[in-house]
Amino acid sequence: MRGRVPDRLTYLLEQKEKGRAVFGVFPALCPKEMLWAMGVVPAEIWDPPLELVKVNSHLQPYICSVVRSGMELVLQGKSDFLDGFLFPHTCDSIQNMASVIKDCMGPEKPCYFFYLPKAPYTEAARTYYLTKLQELAGSLEKQLGGFDQERLGECVRLSNRISSLIEKLYAMRAKGRLRGTSRSFYQLLRKGEHLMPEDLIPLLEQYLTQNTLSEPKGSSGVIFSGILPNPLELLDVLDQLGTRVVHDDLLNCGRRLLAPKMDTTIGPLEALAERYFHLPPCPTKGSGVQERLDFLLDLVKKTDAKGIIFNMVKFCEPEWFDLPFIQKGLKDHGVPTLVLDMEINQDLSAQMITRVEAFLELIS
Amino acid sequence: MGVGQAIRYWFMKEVGAPALMRLQKGRKGRRRRPRPHLGPPLSSASRLREIMTRHYFLARYAKGARPVAWVSSGAPVELLRVFDFYTVYPENHGALCGAQKMGQEICQEAEKKGYHHDLCSYARIDLGHAFSGKTPVGRLPKPDLLFCSNNICQTILYWFKELSHYWNIPLILFDTPYNFQEIKGSDIQYMVEQLEAMVPRLEAISGRKYSDSRLKGVLTLAKETSELWGRILATLKARPAPMSIFDAFVHLAPVVSLRGLPVSRQYYQLLLQELQERVKKGISAIKHEKRRLMWDNIAVWFKLRDWSHLFAERGCNFVAATYTNAWAETIHYLDPSKPFESMARAYSFVILNNNLKHRLNLMREMIRDYQIDGLVIHSDRSCKPYSVGQYDMGRILAQDLGVKTVVIEADMTDSRMFSEEQVRTRLEAFFESLGH
Repeated sequence: MRGRVPDRLTYLLEQKEKGRAVFGVFPALCPKEMLWAMGVVPAEIWDPPLELVKVNSHLQPYICSVVRSGMELVLQGKSDFLDGFLFPHTCDSIQNMASVIKDCMGPEKPCYFFYLPKAPYTEAARTYYLTKLQELAGSLEKQLGGFDQERLGECVRLSNRISSLIEKLYAMRAKGRLRGTSRSFYQLLRKGEHLMPEDLIPLLEQYLTQNTLSEPKGSSGVIFSGILPNPLELLDVLDQLGTRVVHDDLLNCGRRLLAPKMDTTIGPLEALAERYFHLPPCPTKGSGVQERLDFLLDLVKKTDAKGIIFNMVKFCEPEWFDLPFIQKGLKDHGVPTLVLDMEINQDLSAQMITRVEAFLELIS
Repeated sequence: MGVGQAIRYWFMKEVGAPALMRLQKGRKGRRRRPRPHLGPPLSSASRLREIMTRHYFLARYAKGARPVAWVSSGAPVELLRVFDFYTVYPENHGALCGAQKMGQEICQEAEKKGYHHDLCSYARIDLGHAFSGKTPVGRLPKPDLLFCSNNICQTILYWFKELSHYWNIPLILFDTPYNFQEIKGSDIQYMVEQLEAMVPRLEAISGRKYSDSRLKGVLTLAKETSELWGRILATLKARPAPMSIFDAFVHLAPVVSLRGLPVSRQYYQLLLQELQERVKKGISAIKHEKRRLMWDNIAVWFKLRDWSHLFAERGCNFVAATYTNAWAETIHYLDPSKPFESMARAYSFVILNNNLKHRLNLMREMIRDYQIDGLVIHSDRSCKPYSVGQYDMGRILAQDLGVKTVVIEADMTDSRMFSEEQVRTRLEAFFESLGH
């Protein structure tokens, strides 16, 4: 793989040729290691760059663009080559979209659902999550054959390796010791949405080797919060204006990729379960407002960020509900914020650029 | 709990509320809008007004006298009754604000604090009320506890989290896994364990002891109330129907807000008796029932009165609704001999916690049982779990059963999200398709 990175579709088709199954996985949190262990390539569906046409007769315009574009992909037949779908329980819209796809559109492919217990967690939540993992393994086994705990253990170790590399990337970036642009940083991270570990790990290692600076480069930094690091042009604007993204609180990135390392001395299923309860706070899991605020303040302190940009997806209820109190809490602590209200594949308007420029001027 | 507040609450309960009721009864009724196309109004309605007025009146004095909880419509309130919580339902309050056409004004109070106008309007009303105190019911008591279940939506959790943060009060969530397929033993076990774990927390918050026999008594009452509500809705199978769903939207309040209390059971006994009488005498909700309709989703509260006239004028009566049915559909699972397990089942199986296949089957059954000619689908921008999937379900039902369908884009309480002209045009086309 080193030196050659095929585009996403080519890669997935190559994997199929190798005899692996490919699953479409909707946002956001799921035990990918289990799919890897069963020889399944998880192809995450977050923001396919499609014109939204067919979905309009299935979903209302007030549903977020993550869900609408995911369904458009299915409706346009671009997911026909997939061997199944996995829907983690992230929000009301994804929950119902899953049921529309299974119960109303009837694709002739297996649909799996993964319920995630919501905070504030009770003791029962841990047992429950572990049971759900076992049940998912049992269901997958019926379609794909034997589930091997030992193989899962290996995938947990590979996952830990990925987490270590990503953690290092974030740490180097925060210190200003990473040469690459914000665009290249997030493009790299997002390759993890479809690459198998053996193909992702070399890319992460290569990026670290090629882009590590011996001395930090000084420039002011901001933290990104929201769902996705979109649009990439926004990152370009920041780069051009000499502002680094020093950390993020994105559902697609930091909130799940900065997972604590899993304990390899316990059973792999138990290790996967424990990880869920130690991920950074996230409104889709029901994390409390204060917990999120404390987390962001801590990030600001650790990274010396000058402000936070909330890159919001229109109609995303979990994100929008928390925003007023979080903004107020940050303001009380002297942390400036900027809120952008966007569709996931929206072009960056001149007006938006002006707002970003004004914000960066304010914090510099 | 303070002695002074307890005495004041007791005084208002025993003296103030009855005096208010007498005053209301003595007052001449407000001038009614002419009802050229509607049948005689339900006489039970005045008793309902008394009950709900008393409920909100006493709520003003509950703080400090009794533990106060704000509860979501799908939460297992029966457990709170054991600890003598005075319960307030923000969703019921939101509906009331919508019906009184105060939705927009109170939503704006939340928007001033930064809440986006795309967020659920019940939540914005509730937060707007919390920030400004605005309400048509005088005053709501500040809660000691927030109690919700995500069986109706995940939004309720996001919303109650905000209140919990604002007031720094505890939030108890009853987490009900979505039934994408058949419910599993592990799901029930998870829910039972959560309910059991709530007991010591509720004891600590309320300062009252748990009683197994009290819970069983409350469950029996709730089950009987819900069954009565189911029998009430079933009277609408008669041709002509003795009541319309527009009435049912209003008469729903006790089974939602006062479930598990004797007053709700007594009220539904009265209402059922009246409806049975009306069926016997052939008294109809509308004067000329030519077409029978079903409603899907929450009511558009600020249009209730107008639309009851509009549809009646066209000879169309709403005789079924998935929304009103929700409080009759699953409470029969409650079993006082297995209190926790049966609560888990009853609250997990509610319509919005179930997959769309379940909802489609339910709607098919209702269309058949209530002899439905047309289906009005309210695509409610505030309620994603009710609305996502409606386009497909409407198409499937129209194809399979030949039922006429119309989708109207609206909101339950925020009238700014409603286009009168657009909806009117759609409804006119719908009436035409029904043969008017």
